[in-house]
Amino acid sequence: MSQQSQGGAPSVPVLLATHLVLVVTTLAVLYPVLWVLKMALTPSQAFSMDPMPFPTEVSFQNFREVIGTTAADGSWLFGRQLLNSLFVSAVTSALGITLACTAGYAMSRWAFPGRDIGMSMFLVTQMFPGVVMAIPLYILLDEAGLLNSMLGLALVYSTTAVPFSTWNLKGYFDTIPVELEEAALMDGASRWMTFTRIILPLARPALVVTALFSFMTAWNEFILAATFMGDERAFTLPVVLQSYVGDFGTEWGRFAAGSILVSLPVMLLFFALQRFLVEGLTAGSVKG
Amino acid sequence: MATLRLDGVRKSYGDVPVLHTVSMNVADGEFLVLVGPSGCGKSTLLRCIAGLEDISAGDLHIGERRVNDLAPRDRDVAMVFQSYALYPHMTVRENMAFGLRVRGAPEEEITRLVNQAAEMLALGSYLDRLPKALSGGQRQRVAIGRAIVRRPKVFLFDEPLSNLDAALRGQMRVELKRLHRDLNATIVYVTHDQIEAMTLADRILVLNGGLVQQLGTPAELFDTPANRFVAGFIGSPAMNFLKGNAQGGQVTVEGLSFPCQTSGEVEVGLRPNDLVLSRGAGPQATVDVVEHLGWEMLVHLQLGAHKIAARAETAVMGSLKPGDKVAVAAERAHLFSAVSGLRVQ
Amino acid sequence: MSRASPALPFAVAAALLASAPAEAVELTIWHAYRGDERAALEALLVQYDEAHPEVELRPLALAYESFVTKLEAAAPRGNGPDLFIGAHERVGQWSATGLVAPLSLDTSGLHPATVAALTYDGQLYGVPLAYKCLALYYNTDLVPTPPRTTDELVAQAVALTRGDTFGLVFEADAPYFFAPFMHGFGGGVFDAAGEPSLASAENAAALAFVADLARVKKVIPEEPTGALVTQLFNDGKAAMVVNGPWLLGELKPGLPFAVAPLPIVSATGKPAAPYLTVEGAMVSGFAAHPEEAKALALWLAGPESALKRATQGRQSVATLATYDDPAVAADPILSAFRAQLDAAVPMPNKPLMASTWEPMAKALRRVMRGDYTPQAALDEAATELAVTTRPEPPAADPTFAWIALGLGLAAALGALGRQLINPAVRADIKRWAFAYLYVGPAALAMSVLVMLPFVVGAAVSLFSHKDGQFTYVGLANYLDILLARDWPITSALSFYFTLVITVLWTLANVVLHVGIGLGLALILREPWVRLRGLWRVLLILPWAIPNYITALIWKGMFHRQFGAINAILDAVGLEPVSWFASFSTAFSANLITNTWLGFPFMMVVTLGALQAIPRELEQAAEVDGASAWQRFRHVTWPLLTPALLPAVVLGSVWTFNMFNIIFLVSGGEPDSQTEILISEAYRWAFTRQARYGYASAYAVLIFFVLLGWSRLGNRVAGRKVL
Repeated sequence: MSQQSQGGAPSVPVLLATHLVLVVTTLAVLYPVLWVLKMALTPSQAFSMDPMPFPTEVSFQNFREVIGTTAADGSWLFGRQLLNSLFVSAVTSALGITLACTAGYAMSRWAFPGRDIGMSMFLVTQMFPGVVMAIPLYILLDEAGLLNSMLGLALVYSTTAVPFSTWNLKGYFDTIPVELEEAALMDGASRWMTFTRIILPLARPALVVTALFSFMTAWNEFILAATFMGDERAFTLPVVLQSYVGDFGTEWGRFAAGSILVSLPVMLLFFALQRFLVEGLTAGSVKG
Repeated sequence: MATLRLDGVRKSYGDVPVLHTVSMNVADGEFLVLVGPSGCGKSTLLRCIAGLEDISAGDLHIGERRVNDLAPRDRDVAMVFQSYALYPHMTVRENMAFGLRVRGAPEEEITRLVNQAAEMLALGSYLDRLPKALSGGQRQRVAIGRAIVRRPKVFLFDEPLSNLDAALRGQMRVELKRLHRDLNATIVYVTHDQIEAMTLADRILVLNGGLVQQLGTPAELFDTPANRFVAGFIGSPAMNFLKGNAQGGQVTVEGLSFPCQTSGEVEVGLRPNDLVLSRGAGPQATVDVVEHLGWEMLVHLQLGAHKIAARAETAVMGSLKPGDKVAVAAERAHLFSAVSGLRVQ
Repeated sequence: MSRASPALPFAVAAALLASAPAEAVELTIWHAYRGDERAALEALLVQYDEAHPEVELRPLALAYESFVTKLEAAAPRGNGPDLFIGAHERVGQWSATGLVAPLSLDTSGLHPATVAALTYDGQLYGVPLAYKCLALYYNTDLVPTPPRTTDELVAQAVALTRGDTFGLVFEADAPYFFAPFMHGFGGGVFDAAGEPSLASAENAAALAFVADLARVKKVIPEEPTGALVTQLFNDGKAAMVVNGPWLLGELKPGLPFAVAPLPIVSATGKPAAPYLTVEGAMVSGFAAHPEEAKALALWLAGPESALKRATQGRQSVATLATYDDPAVAADPILSAFRAQLDAAVPMPNKPLMASTWEPMAKALRRVMRGDYTPQAALDEAATELAVTTRPEPPAADPTFAWIALGLGLAAALGALGRQLINPAVRADIKRWAFAYLYVGPAALAMSVLVMLPFVVGAAVSLFSHKDGQFTYVGLANYLDILLARDWPITSALSFYFTLVITVLWTLANVVLHVGIGLGLALILREPWVRLRGLWRVLLILPWAIPNYITALIWKGMFHRQFGAINAILDAVGLEPVSWFASFSTAFSANLITNTWLGFPFMMVVTLGALQAIPRELEQAAEVDGASAWQRFRHVTWPLLTPALLPAVVLGSVWTFNMFNIIFLVSGGEPDSQTEILISEAYRWAFTRQARYGYASAYAVLIFFVLLGWSRLGNRVAGRKVL
């Protein structure tokens, strides 16, 4: 354990040991990532089996090819698909958070009949293996006329994100003192106003984290996207990424370059939002 | 400002009653203090008035309006919470303006009222700070400011001073008193601190176990407590109780005799400042502990089988040591039935 | 089978559309081509579109992985293509489900083997466009003349194997790459009568031959994965490789190589015949415009198109005349594959074929690892095939199910009604009416988009599936699984064995995720740690990258001979490990990968939970004289657990169903021992006879196990966690 004198810095051996642990763990974490980077920067399409995670020759050809993908009519596909991904993920995020924050708030504050069963049902859905649900979902969307529609896709994604989001937000709402709401009620705010003007602004870290989660759910998914969307211009980036993995062989260089391009926005979001990440995930923690 | 009327108000959670029948009238501009030990139901009563809790039976009127079924925001009352409940994401100005804003007051009106309240509470230089950048006393004043900007019919205070240190509490007490005078407001104030109750109140309602013990002015409560509970709760240091048997129009305990018109088991209540200590004759008590308070001292004594406390002026008694013998005399006693606890003559 | 009826409305619509003047017919074409092949095809489609104003073409390139699923989901509902270009091996199944329409055409200009491949039960179902098969690539610096017989092959390979150079490199443990030798030795997956014959003496002889090359002569490296084959050939460290035309795209520019047909097997005098995969243009049975689709298919197979596909797409086409073109004839690679075509065996297109890969692959790996003799391994494979392809359970009478369903619904409604009659509950509901407005939207969305599909999917578990037809079989699927009727309980393929592995997998992961996450969180909260923000950001990186990408990377790192992990072990003086050869190491490989992926979540959750614990408490304990460990054990940990438990239960649910890692890293190796329940369900659905009912029963059982698991979590925690 790393715990040392709480006040000042610990002794030099402990200091060295903890930083050594950090360095070693970080190297282990970075190693596979560097490898992806190496394959992306190496012009070959072969899988690199070399233990050195640094490219011997650097070329941006794979990136150029992935980014420069065009449709049969010459229009720029990658840009379009990036926009699709951003759109679907953003809508998923917005939709998921809207559904989850009201539900999580009600479950946190009000002991209405059916609340506990509802909570359990929400979480139980996390246990449904997705493998049995794709085809019924397909038929459902088809009947609803939402096949080939980004909105339909976002709707499906947001429901997969809702249970975790609701649960996380409920945990956070639980830590917001009830007096604040009572004060707002006394001040003349309606129940809805109290929720939107007092609770939601206070739950910002949790909202940010939950939105990030919903965003990632949509951003990384490809099985449903490939099944539901019937036009190359409607594909999201992971679907394209998957197409570099073929029947007989994988175009590793392009796959790796695509992977990095797909991961980059999420990494940037992580960096930008990391403060919230820790604060917003205190799900179910001690009341403050 | 308005009157407040409670008629047979009751509150229970499921089958558990927390407030038995409570009836009272609070006059326009009156400062009423609800006092009692923790868990006595005083906060629940306040929350019922606020509308944060439904009442199970009875009627509640603010002014001439029956407000039983009105939402808090329609009752036109304001409340100051023990934890202040300041909105952490809003500045002091926004906190104070919130109530006006949600009611759709015009912006210039809001600015005017907020500035006025800020001036009254000496908050002018903090208006653009967030609550977390304020001290406890400042937060307390913001919470009060938030209540007064709206000019509500009734102010409700839920133990507003209990989170402050002793010095600040005394200072805020004075400010509250002044505020009440300036605003001429109807105030219902909950506290468990009987000093606060005595110093602030026009009238005090003493609650215990959900039951009203007594409603009256501080002087009435102090001078003629209705029962043993009120007698023991009001007054500091607390009243001494000695058990005795009354016969033939008088009761004698530990050598002290008092006239008593009833007979049977009674409790004799002696306030520490009604006891007179001397080096002369009379029932002798042994000094146990002496607390020096400057010009006076509080002396804990063993009087026969009873432990009692008495006040004595330092100048009169000189120095006392544990083990010293002193004579005890009583100028006045309160008598209570040992069975019912009620005041007897 | 009335496969015309679903298409009828579309046919009517088509007729209506056709009658409208000057209205071009939209023709949707699906394919899974990439790179040059895709470019050539799309150019041809543009050309056709321009020459034929009566049609408007809508091509769609799909990822190979999603092609079949999407096709099978979309086509029957009228959302599929009119024409699709697919591999021939599913024609048998697709013809049964009506997914492909029969065709009649003049096949004289096409190679007969390609026509045969697309024929099922005497009926042609597609226009052959191109084919793919294995051939022998050789490094011309090392091999001046390619071997004509296996004796020559072995002699050359042995002579060339020295140092870090291998004589013959191919994926010897993959059935597809083993097939040429199997056929060359006179064997095959099916016998002349079409019955499975995995355990034939010929197959055993072929396997013995390959095993000898790998294990005794060691001309083949260990764990010869596709990536390794490519890398060794590119580096000039593989003299000969057996591979298909797709390898060309991965070869380094300037590599001295040539392609030749595979040699004659000396023992039998027969050519080593690879599987032939024919890509046919197939008219969908649900096509809106079958006539126009067929016209396009025929044009695509025609000489003009074929030449363009061969020259621009570098595609081995099925059209014979193309090979007379001087440009094509001069292409040594196309010519070599054309020569190989004459000695290639069309991959059997009967539905049973799909189920042979898994047992065959297992047999090959067992022999390559040296655990089994060829005959014994193949005998096992034959048994396994017999079980996975056993007849579906008999149809059952659904009356009982209807009655049970009715009673169940009545009971549920009754219980609900009784609640609603209760005035206290009614008053409560009225009182909280607004709360339902808040929960309503989410509850509705969840019911429709999650619960409903799951109930429908779960209902499939009461049916058996064959060729698109579902038959009600009652609880037969559950009984087969739970009574271990297919496999003895101790078999790696039994439900109980897999369940134990799954629980072990989940527990091990949770312990590691929490342990590492907690340890790092405890370090990272200390104010004296330098660059805290930087460490934190770097340590959560695995979370930001899609896990299917990193799983593939880790798989490569665990390679026996060339993987980075073994390189590191070697560097520090440890013995390299055959990660996927034994249960414990394969399990560890999965575990390491998933721990790498999973600890950041726990670390972040723990960091958050630690923030809520006042440091004064630990300081108080320190003043009381508690050691660092005692402080953690008696102060921090008890305060931390309430916040961590929900995350742990949720994390364990996610881990329990962590399909990607198992499937992509160990793939169940060795011998399906590291499969977990979800990957087994997947295999039943997609690689074993499309037993959707059986797979669905697995899914439902997984659900119940997890439900029990979370109840157990509550019990352990002594409170409601989830």
